[in-house]
Amino acid sequence: MLTLACPSCGAAEAFRSKASVFAVCSFCKSTLVRQDMDLSAVGKMSELQDDMTPLQIGCQGTYAGKRFELIGRLKVGYSDGFWNEWYALFADGSPGWLAEAQGFYAMCFEVATREIPSSNALTPGTNVRLTAQSVFQVEDIRQVKCLYSEGELPLFATQGRESTSVDLTGPDNGMATIEYAGSDVRVFSGSYQEFDDFNFNNLRKLDGW
Amino acid sequence: MAGNEEVPPPALSAQQPSGSVKTLSCTHCGAAISVKYPGSTMTVVCNSCHSVIDVTDENYRILYQFSKSTQVCKPRIQLGTRGKLKGEQWEVTGYIVRQDRASCVTWDEYLLFNPYHGYRWLTENNGHWNFVKTIKENPAIDCAWSSRRHAELDGKKYKLFYDGTAIMLFVLGEFYWRIEAEQKVEMEDYICPPEMLSSERDDKEVVWSLSEYIASNEVAEAFKLRTDELPQQQGIAANQLSPWSARWEKISRLWIVFFALLTAIEIGFCVTAANKSVFKEGYPYIPNSKSTQTLTTSVFNLEKSSANLSVKFDVPDVSNSWFYSSGELVNNKTGEVYPFERTVEYYFGVDGGESWSEGSTVNQILFSSVPGGDYYLNLDFESGSFKDLASRTFFVMVRRDVPDYANYFWCLFFVSIIPVFTWIRSRSYEVQRWSDSDYSPYASSGD
Repeated sequence: MLTLACPSCGAAEAFRSKASVFAVCSFCKSTLVRQDMDLSAVGKMSELQDDMTPLQIGCQGTYAGKRFELIGRLKVGYSDGFWNEWYALFADGSPGWLAEAQGFYAMCFEVATREIPSSNALTPGTNVRLTAQSVFQVEDIRQVKCLYSEGELPLFATQGRESTSVDLTGPDNGMATIEYAGSDVRVFSGSYQEFDDFNFNNLRKLDGW
Repeated sequence: MAGNEEVPPPALSAQQPSGSVKTLSCTHCGAAISVKYPGSTMTVVCNSCHSVIDVTDENYRILYQFSKSTQVCKPRIQLGTRGKLKGEQWEVTGYIVRQDRASCVTWDEYLLFNPYHGYRWLTENNGHWNFVKTIKENPAIDCAWSSRRHAELDGKKYKLFYDGTAIMLFVLGEFYWRIEAEQKVEMEDYICPPEMLSSERDDKEVVWSLSEYIASNEVAEAFKLRTDELPQQQGIAANQLSPWSARWEKISRLWIVFFALLTAIEIGFCVTAANKSVFKEGYPYIPNSKSTQTLTTSVFNLEKSSANLSVKFDVPDVSNSWFYSSGELVNNKTGEVYPFERTVEYYFGVDGGESWSEGSTVNQILFSSVPGGDYYLNLDFESGSFKDLASRTFFVMVRRDVPDYANYFWCLFFVSIIPVFTWIRSRSYEVQRWSDSDYSPYASSGD
């Protein structure tokens, strides 16, 4: 684990994943960009309306028999809603993303694909072969904006960061996401899992629930 | 873990997440509107003027204004109340009344929220309730026969029951999506009781959901309502579980077992039956007269301690005429008597160009259990309607241990009464269920 001092308030910022290049100081909410051992403050993260998510940084769960911990969060919004993408660190050091929206939870991992179709070529209903094994169907294509971020993240998740997000579904509760952010295109695939099956602990306390 | 805490009473729950409740003034009428879950809510409806407001818009834009003439619908379950359904706590946060455009049938939908498990719907149609969950997986649709369209999910087949356009008549509460004015969706319902798969399609997306039929008293219990506060149940719901179908399934399996068993027993009897001819003799008779003295046959021996016995009359010359015999089987030793009478008659002719026939030239009687020993027959006989009086011959044949089918068919008949009754009830239930559908497999082709 790498610990650096926040250039803004001096608080210790722990980077648990080597892939993390971005963090939000949990004390002063400065948005921090990491370059090797250098940490520079690029702005401030403004607070957001509570969205009743039961998850929080430090929350642990199980997926495919492996324990993971949430170390970062990216909240994105589009014209008709929003969702959370939690950056998860598995016990073996590998990263994953836990997507959370309206009580649906899906764990996904970045996959290498030979060719990624351009976002213009996709419409809802299009079938896309993303991995050798499975074909996914495009559900929706959304222009999204980063509304909020916290913890540590492998991308520069400053407020207002824009991207195009394509959600796809596959057989057996499978899902995939293609994210187009400028020239940077990444593909993630994984599957939905019931809340109870994650065996979460260290969940956020929700008053009255 | 989720939902295992005490249910807070509604009064408490109304003020409970005090930190996050957001209050705003209705853009239209100025009334105070409180948004309970502002972080997850996009649309809220003003309680006073029923304006539908976009909470995420900084000017609280009005999305939809129900005209004043629109009747105000009252939810049977109060918004803000919580109930435990399927093991989890749910809070009612929204209420929608929808209508099928073609039939004008309306139904109610309650949006349920749990921060851990997200959203569910509770729908009420004709007093029948469904617990509905949005699903992410798209079922496979088989359109091979358009009239027998079905959807498949997790190896289960769902039959198309309804399709149509639904419009929104009334909304109340807060919602996680933006409710569009004049929102209408193309709906399809596929059933596999007690479940139902539904799709809602608009110009942007298709959303699939899985409904499970739940008893109204389960709803009443969950939300602490009296059953008479909920609408009276009418008819049979699309995906209501038939009380007869499970019974029919069980009974039909049992029936097959009985059928196989009886058939096996019967085959066993037939195979092992000796079917031995013990006596055969021809005797003369004068047509159209009565025998003047009783005919006594020679003595024949019956083997086995006990078995059945058939006495068969073969009168080859009856032709639009009849032959009647009354007689008795007599045990030569004990004198025990088995009386019988039989008529052999055979008629035929042509009527209006159609030829017909009735009866046959043989007839027999079966004694089910006759002890072994020496026996003879006493016979009196009579005949009529013969055209001439030339002497003829009739034959009497006695067979021991013959295969018998009557018992078998009677057993089958009795064993089938309950299954047939159950099948009829089960089928009429399904016919009634499907009478509300345009896709009834029971509808006659003329419909």
